[in-house]
Amino acid sequence: MQICAPWRRRSGGALLTLIAITVMAQATAHEAHRAANAAATDVAPGYLALPYAPPTPGTYALPPIRPAADGAIIDDTGTPRRLHALFDQRITVLSFIYTHCDDANGCPLASFVISQAAADIARVPALAAKVRFVSLSFDPQRDTPALLGRYARPFRKPGVDWVFGTTADEAALTVLLAAYGQDIERDASGGTFSHVLRVYLIDSDARIRNEYTTSFLHSSMLAADIRTLAMAASPAAEVPGSTSLGPGDDKSGYEDAAYVTRSRALTARDAAPADLRATLTELPLGLPRDALNGPLPTDAQIALGRQLFFDRRLSHNDTLACASCHIPDQGYTNNELMTPIGIEGRTVKRNAPSLFNVGLLPELFHDARESRLEQQIWGPLLASNEMGNPSISYVLDELRTLPGYRAQFAAAFPQAPAPSMETLGLALAAYERALVSGDSPFDRWRYGGDAAALPAAARAGYALFTGKAGCSGCHLVGESAALFTDHELHNTGLGYRRSMASPQTLDVLVGPGTRLAVAPGIVAASSETPPSDLGRYEVTLDPADRWRYRTPSLRNVALTAPYMHDGSLRSLDDVIAFYAAGGQPNEGLDPRLKPRRLTAAERTELRAFLDSLTGSNVDILVRDAFAVPIGDRQAD
Amino acid sequence: MIMPPFTRLRLLAVLGCGLAVGPLSQADETCNSPYMKRLTTQEDFMYIWTLGVSGVGDEQDKLVTVDTLPASKTYGKVLNALSVGGRNEAHHSGYSDDRRTLWAGGLDTSNIFLFDVATDPAQPTLRKTITDFVAKTGGIVGPHSFYALPGRMLITGLSNNQDHGGRTGMAEYTNDGEYITTHWMPTDDNLQGAVKTGQFADGYGYDIRALPRLNVMVSSSFTGWNNYMMDLGKMMADGEAMKRFGNTVTLWDLHTRKPLKVFDVPGAPLEVRCAWNEKHDYCFTTTALTSKIWLIHRDDHGEWHAKDVADIGDPAKIPLPVDISIAADDSRLWVNTFNDGMARLYDITDPHAPKEIYSKHIGEQVNMVSQSWDGKRVYFTSSLLGNWDKKQGPAGDLQYFKAYDWDGKALQEAFAVDFVAEKLGLAHQMTLNARSMYTGKQSPVAPQASTGGSLATTGH
Repeated sequence: MQICAPWRRRSGGALLTLIAITVMAQATAHEAHRAANAAATDVAPGYLALPYAPPTPGTYALPPIRPAADGAIIDDTGTPRRLHALFDQRITVLSFIYTHCDDANGCPLASFVISQAAADIARVPALAAKVRFVSLSFDPQRDTPALLGRYARPFRKPGVDWVFGTTADEAALTVLLAAYGQDIERDASGGTFSHVLRVYLIDSDARIRNEYTTSFLHSSMLAADIRTLAMAASPAAEVPGSTSLGPGDDKSGYEDAAYVTRSRALTARDAAPADLRATLTELPLGLPRDALNGPLPTDAQIALGRQLFFDRRLSHNDTLACASCHIPDQGYTNNELMTPIGIEGRTVKRNAPSLFNVGLLPELFHDARESRLEQQIWGPLLASNEMGNPSISYVLDELRTLPGYRAQFAAAFPQAPAPSMETLGLALAAYERALVSGDSPFDRWRYGGDAAALPAAARAGYALFTGKAGCSGCHLVGESAALFTDHELHNTGLGYRRSMASPQTLDVLVGPGTRLAVAPGIVAASSETPPSDLGRYEVTLDPADRWRYRTPSLRNVALTAPYMHDGSLRSLDDVIAFYAAGGQPNEGLDPRLKPRRLTAAERTELRAFLDSLTGSNVDILVRDAFAVPIGDRQAD
Repeated sequence: MIMPPFTRLRLLAVLGCGLAVGPLSQADETCNSPYMKRLTTQEDFMYIWTLGVSGVGDEQDKLVTVDTLPASKTYGKVLNALSVGGRNEAHHSGYSDDRRTLWAGGLDTSNIFLFDVATDPAQPTLRKTITDFVAKTGGIVGPHSFYALPGRMLITGLSNNQDHGGRTGMAEYTNDGEYITTHWMPTDDNLQGAVKTGQFADGYGYDIRALPRLNVMVSSSFTGWNNYMMDLGKMMADGEAMKRFGNTVTLWDLHTRKPLKVFDVPGAPLEVRCAWNEKHDYCFTTTALTSKIWLIHRDDHGEWHAKDVADIGDPAKIPLPVDISIAADDSRLWVNTFNDGMARLYDITDPHAPKEIYSKHIGEQVNMVSQSWDGKRVYFTSSLLGNWDKKQGPAGDLQYFKAYDWDGKALQEAFAVDFVAEKLGLAHQMTLNARSMYTGKQSPVAPQASTGGSLATTGH
């Protein structure tokens, strides 16, 4: 914020300033030299040598900030001009000054810095020809064209195109100042202005590309920016697209102090729309035929459902989409937490089920409380701890007003174009149903007759899976197809263990390889009571159903960590260990669970088998998902 | 540039004549952007950006104005509370460079509220609401810091709309609230020219501060929506979630906004505060999970480094260091620890060896600390995050705004506002203001009658 002392208080001041600036402008700047320390803190950086190297022109971007306004001015020859005509499709450096200002860190600073930059630019005539400097007065009463002409003379060097101007009256000036965000305030006497010093760099399309205030204004930086603008814009470096699966900041190994990040740019997504319907009509190898749990959708229905799936506006406050918990590159679940949170961070007590092959399941949710995908969607949409919508009408009304959906609904359901409970369900289910995945190495070995498709360790693991380990008792493998689930509910004791547990000292990772034992009381005051979970009992109210949960499919299981209905087992190794121990004994423990003696080598083989269940089309589904623009709230 | 003695004399003469050409890099609150217009008088008001919470008053986020002028009849009283509508997870706020607008953001909805604080500083009004921050920025979620650059605001993010995790970026907006551009945090596959100095380049963000005389900015790293919106107990019991915290501090070229270096600072470095003395080339940050003070400093060869220089409290008890405030003379650093409600003062005259010299229990929990430029008045608020805040505590000590006088030896309470009893909500970011910042109408059309405010503002 500058103060410029009034003219009448400093009759020689302005001239002194002018002389000082002129002399300084003429001084060459070959050596770096700092002003005396005592004055250093009072001297704007623009007067001093830059204490760091200016950026190399062309190595950075100056994004357009906003359009540079046009306006009516009068130049120092008295000729009326339009600002845009003055810009003349050149690079323009625009400043607002007034001649009576003698605050050295105010207008004189701007003039000094600009004159230094102009001298630098003038050394390259081809560049100088593209640049014009414009200084406008915001004191039209005193700064007549004639006075400006005199003020301008020392700045008019060979090769420097510098126009000084004023406005016809205060009214014209006010419009111009407002357009440039140049706020000024006059003091009581009307002679002094206080204003934030601003200098603008404007490109050949009359767009402001940089804005400088006192601390930011230096001739070296200004010259570097002018040169950058003059250079042809080089395209931003392309980040190679990726379909790496798993969270974008890979945390595997985080328990070790030697952990190294392998993070991916948010912009590095390899997007490619796919024909999802084709995958449905020609199911991948290993998937049961005729097991689709609803009608075969049309392309338009899949496209609509896909768009909706990624739309955060489907939640009450526009923060959550289906894809927020069912993240495509995280196995259509969430690898970064045990159980998700919903709207406003409300706790969801169960792990987000992976949506791979959800179109082939007769029962949905961990407690199998829903049998139709079209109906299932209303659970999360209306649950107060998930997407939080207050009613069905609310959701449908929202869809009627969001641009684009009207046409998509009409295309998807020509017989009933207005969004309805039914069509919203059909649309979302259409996309989810299309997320079929098979043709894994296991499938090719078992159902495709390719003896070499499955590595030896996985083959040994399969033998254990169907033999000694007893997994296939619930995770069924069929003769011609496999979903690895009996679609029934079982008590493994995991839920029982949670219900009966007492608060434990937590073993918390506070940084890579850094663990702290945190007593339960330490954050108790900030914590809610964890919700109870009795599994299937909460649906049937049959005590026999306490802590029973649905057997999930194991397809793509390598991608869907963490595991179990509450995400409490972090890795497949932990899952194998849990079952090898026979689960958690309790009154309702499923008789199929019993301790199995499995050696370390056998556990590794089982693990290899589970890893071989990843379908060959996951990349295609993920790239297709990346191609969908995420729906977000727009300007009101 | 070599200046002949005659010219030097003239220059000094000019400078000497100029009225109140003050230090260019100062500002009132030491956390403020050096590009901001400076407050030099006693503060008249404190604005407190406050989270709405279920069961308290109108349950909406609001900007609360409290009278901080001791001579005033309403000293220590709430003058007004402007509800913005909705619960957005109100978090931080910051002034534009001309100090006419206060920008305030919500970490949940990513809505940004622009308040006019110039027309009547005692009664801010809502000028504009930005509702499309996520869409415009290319997917940044959770606008955190609002930092003034010339004619613009730099807004750091915490998360993203793809996975609600910690990878994020920062955005530039014009002072009028129009989007300009996005800068993504450096990641391993796109370091954007930055040097990864150690093991970590997670792409996370949090706070940012600038040191214009060195042409650098320093940013820190926290966590994504999935964690900062999660119940604290649920999160600490979730082993996967606890891995999702930032472990980096990034050094940036201020002018080009390009990252230069990524440092390993494990355990979630939060607020960044840079020294004001022009010979002190360093900034401080503290890590929330590992409870340490870190020094980001420049050596004599111009190279920057990060180094942990002190423990805060007993790290094993998870004191959770949160907000910090550096003294204007760089000799002291206030560090608040959330979990035990303590304000701790460190002697940082040797920045490589901070020593705790004083502490005081402020409330059941404590987060933000703001001090006047001369350090004589220190203010505190209680709230960190809606789902991390404690749910119970002694009346008046759970959610509050408290003002203290500091005489160099002890904090003496001047007044306290109970934000629950006053039906306001969770008190968070504080910003000082004064009538003297705004001397008259903006338009130069007619000279204004003197308002008595000081014109002794300075260049910046």
